[in-house]
Amino acid sequence: MTPMLDITRDVCPMTFVKVKMGLSKMTTSEHLEVRLKEEALKNVISSLKSEGHKIVRVEKQGEIFHMVIEKSETRSSTA
Amino acid sequence: MKEADYKELKKGGMMRQREAGHFSVRLHVVGGQMTTGQLCAIREAADRFGKGTVHLTTRQGMEIPSVPTESLASLKEFLSDSGVGVGVCGPTVRTVTACQGCRICPSGAIDSPALADAVDREFYGKPVPHKFKVGISGCANNCMKAEENDIGIKGWIGPAWNKEGCTFCGVCEAVCPTKIVKVSEDDGRVSVDLAGCIGCGDCIEACPTGAMEEETRGCQIFAGGKFGRVPSLGKRILGVLRSGEEAIAAIRAAVDFFRIHGKPRERFGDTLRRTGFEALENHMTERMGKSA
Ligand code: SF4
Ligand code: SF4
Ligand code: SF4
Repeated sequence: MTPMLDITRDVCPMTFVKVKMGLSKMTTSEHLEVRLKEEALKNVISSLKSEGHKIVRVEKQGEIFHMVIEKSETRSSTA
Repeated sequence: MKEADYKELKKGGMMRQREAGHFSVRLHVVGGQMTTGQLCAIREAADRFGKGTVHLTTRQGMEIPSVPTESLASLKEFLSDSGVGVGVCGPTVRTVTACQGCRICPSGAIDSPALADAVDREFYGKPVPHKFKVGISGCANNCMKAEENDIGIKGWIGPAWNKEGCTFCGVCEAVCPTKIVKVSEDDGRVSVDLAGCIGCGDCIEACPTGAMEEETRGCQIFAGGKFGRVPSLGKRILGVLRSGEEAIAAIRAAVDFFRIHGKPRERFGDTLRRTGFEALENHMTERMGKSA
């Protein structure tokens, strides 16, 4: 089952920090599902893109966005 | 000293101070950039000719206050030998302000300091009907408050939507700060009402699939802003300018318009409210068409 991370209660920069921590526990090409709010979308997505991860799917359900991320070979460390 | 002499000194950036026989000397700063060599020279000048203090102005300028009348000439000579210019005042094109732009700031769309340099080289200290300020922000975040200037420049990153690859996820609609993006999966399209676009590029940066692409990068231009006693914000004119050269051509045309239509001691915005902003746009389009 795809692990699920809920960051709907977090604010920047914790939103991306948590996504990064979530991804760090996974191996390449595994999927992580993230639930997030509108405010976090831009920063989380642009950070994921710049680190080279793949966004497989994004769906809007009411106020909440569900996003599935595929972990890629990490370009930068998780430190 | 005669009133006329004070006026002459003021034009050259030497401003009469409250304390009799003393001046605050304005320095020439471009886009907020100074070398450490210049700073060392300014420090020495403030120690030798002033009272060891420097004032930072609101528009990225610097002044050395408390310089006695008899030291003005030697201060000027010392500064010019050290590669520091003296500022201007009166009805001229003033300090060009700029943020760090795309070479330093990750958000930057244009090289603001380079554009500031080019504007400064062509227009600094040149006569116009009233003081004329140019400010340059590298992107839509607008740290340099473009609309506060007689001419303001702001970086621009504009989108175009491609059906290929779009998953209708709704992210672009959600992140757009002006709410002009509408995602309609039922109609199979995403519409962008470009008239309301501020060129922030957020929809492009946030789109997970790359379906929202960067179409234009350059800058937008605002005319007629000012602060002071009766503040008013500049209005956006013309479309997106694609290069530094185009931005310079636009400023050249605007300065030219101000010289033709401005009355003495009338700020650019007031001239424009008299002539209408369209008159400026027409003049600029015509001039820029000719120069291109
Ligand atoms: S205006 Fe844009 S480019 Fe300039 S400093 Fe602000 S965020 Fe950076
Ligand atoms: S963010 Fe990209 S993929 Fe999602 S709806 Fe907008 S253009 Fe389509
Ligand atoms: S560039 Fe900014 S203002 Fe223009 S459509 Fe995209 S998000 Fe909206």
